[in-house]
Amino acid sequence: MKKLAFHTMILAFCCGVMTSAQAQDPKTAAAQAPAAQPAQETVCFESRKGASEVTKRDIKPGWPNVKCSPKTGAALWYGDPYDGTVPMGKMPGLENIPAGHALVKPRSGTLALMPMCGVSCHNGVGPQFSPPTLPKGRKPVPLPTMEAMVPDLKDLQHGRGRIWCMDCHHTTQRNKLVDHFGDPISFDQPQLLCGKCHGDKLRDWRDGIHGKRIGEFTSTGKKRWFTCTECHNPHNVQDGARNRGFVQLQPEPSPQLPRGMKDASHEKLHPIPH
Amino acid sequence: MSSLMGTAALMVQSDDAAAAVEWAEHFQKNYRLMTDVEKAEARARLERRYSAEYGKKVTVDGTEAQAGVLMGYALNVRKCIGCRRCVHACVEENNQSRGTRPGEKIEWIQVLRMERGEFSKDKMNQGYPEGLGIQVGGNAYTPAGQVLEGQYHYNPEAVPEKDATYMPIACMQCEKPPCVKVCPVRTTYREADGPVVIDYNWCIGCKMCMNACPYWARRFNLTTPVLPKEEMNPVTHYLGNRPRMRGVVEKCHWCLQRTRHDRYPACVEVCPVGARKFGNLLDPESEVSKILERKNVFRLKAEFNTFPKFFYFYD
Repeated sequence: MKKLAFHTMILAFCCGVMTSAQAQDPKTAAAQAPAAQPAQETVCFESRKGASEVTKRDIKPGWPNVKCSPKTGAALWYGDPYDGTVPMGKMPGLENIPAGHALVKPRSGTLALMPMCGVSCHNGVGPQFSPPTLPKGRKPVPLPTMEAMVPDLKDLQHGRGRIWCMDCHHTTQRNKLVDHFGDPISFDQPQLLCGKCHGDKLRDWRDGIHGKRIGEFTSTGKKRWFTCTECHNPHNVQDGARNRGFVQLQPEPSPQLPRGMKDASHEKLHPIPH
Repeated sequence: MSSLMGTAALMVQSDDAAAAVEWAEHFQKNYRLMTDVEKAEARARLERRYSAEYGKKVTVDGTEAQAGVLMGYALNVRKCIGCRRCVHACVEENNQSRGTRPGEKIEWIQVLRMERGEFSKDKMNQGYPEGLGIQVGGNAYTPAGQVLEGQYHYNPEAVPEKDATYMPIACMQCEKPPCVKVCPVRTTYREADGPVVIDYNWCIGCKMCMNACPYWARRFNLTTPVLPKEEMNPVTHYLGNRPRMRGVVEKCHWCLQRTRHDRYPACVEVCPVGARKFGNLLDPESEVSKILERKNVFRLKAEFNTFPKFFYFYD
């Protein structure tokens, strides 16, 4: 009897191999076919809507770079966390991380005004003072042209009226930010600028406590670091419409109700009335 | 023996790869008692079965725990905005059942919405005795939502809401897990690098662990899981996100298929506010170690002495 069982096992095993081999062939053929068709473009946002958009595409057949939520258009899953990234550049305090392991996604290319703002209006001619302070007795005046192009400026809240454009933007190179010495900082490295004042947040960000990193979790691993402006809008940081410091987002769908439950109104009843 | 013969007879007729390996799986040992060869065989069997079932190349990984790694998790409760992206990222990654009928939709992370507590002026005089009552003190305080009495099904237009805080809960990967203590077949156990895992093949579906878990972290496959082919994640781990069958328990395992290869769990990667943190507790330079060193940390239901490796913090 034992021998019989053993033979059936062998037979069964062979059958399994054959059927699986047969089953695979048409499937792989089917998988190759739709790759030729032009895919409909899906764009979803990572952190800040309007500032961290990513276009869905296939890295390899059936393996997208990102999966998007059908309800909210939020990025839900990363096929490749390093997609579209470049090395972060020099960052004080991150010397222990091997070269090429700290990556950022450059934002310069996605900023619409970026290519022209350094040449068309602000063509490098301007006040050569450093640090960039206004002359005595002068106050910053809003420029209608500038406000029309960047609507955020109509309600500049950063610093509650205590700082102005040239505290962050370079005086002569408008496509750059500025550090304490008047030297330009790339828009891809805003942490060097923001850390000038928000040192505690910079320290937490550098240690991975504040903000977000994706990729390898080991402390010296290869990671994509989200920079300040990928999550924060520096112009309207104190927007009054926010709750608890965050811009509101549409939430993903709620969980399934248990069988027989019509709605979740029971959740709103407090066990202890107050 | 007759049942054996019956199965064998069934298999010879069947052209289904799933049925072909089921028979071998039936005689498989508890994963921890298998030799390396048997483990490799079991994984190869599953790869064959899943590849045929889902129409793509599915890998079933068996990477063991690395020495010097103890995984830990931290979540900033002040930052969480309750957007539930982690919940759905987890479903994308971990091949949960996603049908529409009752019991067919499984999510491992639950996000609790809790009312915020406050002191209010108009309640200043409440709580004082009336007539022969006993004074219990002032009652100007409105309590915050009590833990595990919160709302899971909240669905506003936009989050975060003004008067709410959010607290996501999932498996806490306890150092002394009650679910492991009660498992009658010892199919759920703590791995050497921290996570508590389940050998789904050895699970008998008695749901004792679900009763024992104080964090409501475990889910049961009441129905045959509904997992569309195109949505199935082909990168799987034997103890992690490989597709489950009907009648077994499943839960969060910190994305073993990712974290065993040093990748962040899926929920950490999608959190839009960066509230979720993951790292090696034995590495003093890891983000979780830095949080334990620097921030105010608490653990959920610490009084049960389950010693979770999931920490809540705020700054």
